[in-house]
Formats: sequence, structure tokens, C-alpha cells
Amino acid sequence: MAELVEFLARQLVDEPDEVRVEREERDDVLVLLLHVAPNDVGKVIGRQGRIARALRAVVRAGGVRENRRVQLEIAG
Amino acid sequence: MSEDGSLRVETTGETVGEAKWSALRELERLHPTLDKSAVRFQVVSEGERGLLGVGYAPARVVAVVDEDAIGPPVEESEAAARARELVRRVAEGIGVECRIDVREDDDAVHVLCAGPELGLLIGKHGQTIDAIQYLANASARRGGGEAKDVVVDAAGYRDRRRATLETMAVRSAQQALREGRAELEPMTAIERKIVHLRLKEFPGVETSSEGAEPNRFVVVTSE
Repeated sequence: MAELVEFLARQLVDEPDEVRVEREERDDVLVLLLHVAPNDVGKVIGRQGRIARALRAVVRAGGVRENRRVQLEIAG
Repeated sequence: MSEDGSLRVETTGETVGEAKWSALRELERLHPTLDKSAVRFQVVSEGERGLLGVGYAPARVVAVVDEDAIGPPVEESEAAARARELVRRVAEGIGVECRIDVREDDDAVHVLCAGPELGLLIGKHGQTIDAIQYLANASARRGGGEAKDVVVDAAGYRDRRRATLETMAVRSAQQALREGRAELEPMTAIERKIVHLRLKEFPGVETSSEGAEPNRFVVVTSE
């Protein structure tokens, strides 16, 4: 799931080399922290947060098979 | 594809001729650019006609064609390849097995997923497939360039959804005629457009959109 978020973020930003995803276990939730270059934060959030919402929808679907909750946080 | 680069299919038929025919068709399906005159046949079995269904055995043929005669694969545009790769990666990441076909016309790149269980890829109210489509479009327009629309579909979902939306649109128009006003549920811009278009010629009503994304919805009012 982290690899997928990394791939998707790289498709959207100007500096793909700066994309990094950290995994963090919080209770029974897997939290993915997405880091991008400062100038690219807006690109992974999108107008009215629509890119971030789309990324979260994909991440949520990815958790279904693994039977766990996955959350995406944009850490910048 | 075998190790020496040739392509080989084995087929059966009631006669050797029929078996050869279906072998050719199979090869053509796999490689539309195939040079048919380069196909070589080996008859494995002539088959037995049998009597009253007893002792019948089909004719069996192996067709072989060299790699050189297959021709280059049909070239996919960069936009189509990019959209295909994005959908493939998402399906894999979500854990959905699917075959992906890409069709490109003047207006859009269509990415079509086929497979046994696409529910997870579509999601509740199409949330997931709409998200994938949104990301594919954002990816296509990275850097602010012009790009064709990308439409992502699975198991005919878009057609079914369109039919549902059009039914809802008509029902809302009838309600608006009775009560003066009707509101539809929140929808994406593409879905709202389907509703607006369906009611454009509907006598006696007008449509508009209200509310802020992602909860923007269509309002139907009587004129």
C-alpha cells in the first residue's frame, strides 16, 4: 500500500525524487505519512482537497483485502 | 510464445480444414498484424468421423508462426500507456485481479477493467473508481499541460450508473413539476453533467447546481 501511494504521488508532483512514504502503526490502524517537496504539497492535496480525497479513497479500498484500516496523512 | 520466438497454437475441429481455420483465427486474435501466409500447419490427427457418434475423434492441428511474421505490437500512445500503468498499479495495490484494455478515441482515453470481482475496484457508489479516474486525469495533466480525458470503467459500471442517474433525473423533474423544486444527492461534476444534459430538453424544468464540493448537488426547479 505504501508503494502504491508513493507511485501515485510521483505521478502528480514536480519533484518525484522527493516523494517518501513512512509507515506508522497506531493501535490497529496503519498510518501512511506522505512526504513531498514543499512546493509539491498543493499537488497532492489538490483543489478543494480533491486529490487527497481520491488518494484516501484508494488507500481505504486497499485496506479492505488486508482487513485493516489504513489512513493517509500528508506530512509535507 | 515458445523459446525460439515462434508462436504456436493447437486447435481441434471436425475436419482438418476446420481445425486450421480456427487456429488461424486464434493467431489473428492474439496478433492482429499477423502475416497469415507465414503460418505453418502440422496435422497431429486427421480425426475420425465415427458412426452415429461412436468412435468420433476431432481433427487436431498445430499452427506455428515465426516471430518475424507477427509484426510489431499495436503502438499505444504515451497517454494511453500512462493511464494503463496507473490503473494496473492501483488494481494490484488494492488486490483486485483484472484484465485491462485501453481504447483511445478523439475525445478520451478509455481504460476498461474486466475480471471476476471488481466490486472493490468500483467501491460504494463508485467512490473508488471515481477516485482512480480523478487521479488518472490529474496524472495526465501534470505540469498543467493539455490532455485528453481519461475514463476508467469496470464491468460496465459507467453505463449502469448513467442509466441510474438519468432515471433519477427524470424522477426529480417530475417532482419539481409537482412541488416546484427537487434536490438530487451530491455528485461529482461528471455525474451532474449527465443530469443537466438529460433534463435540458425536459419541458417545464430548469437545472442548476448548489453547494460546495464534494457535496455539490443538482437542483431542479419548475419554470
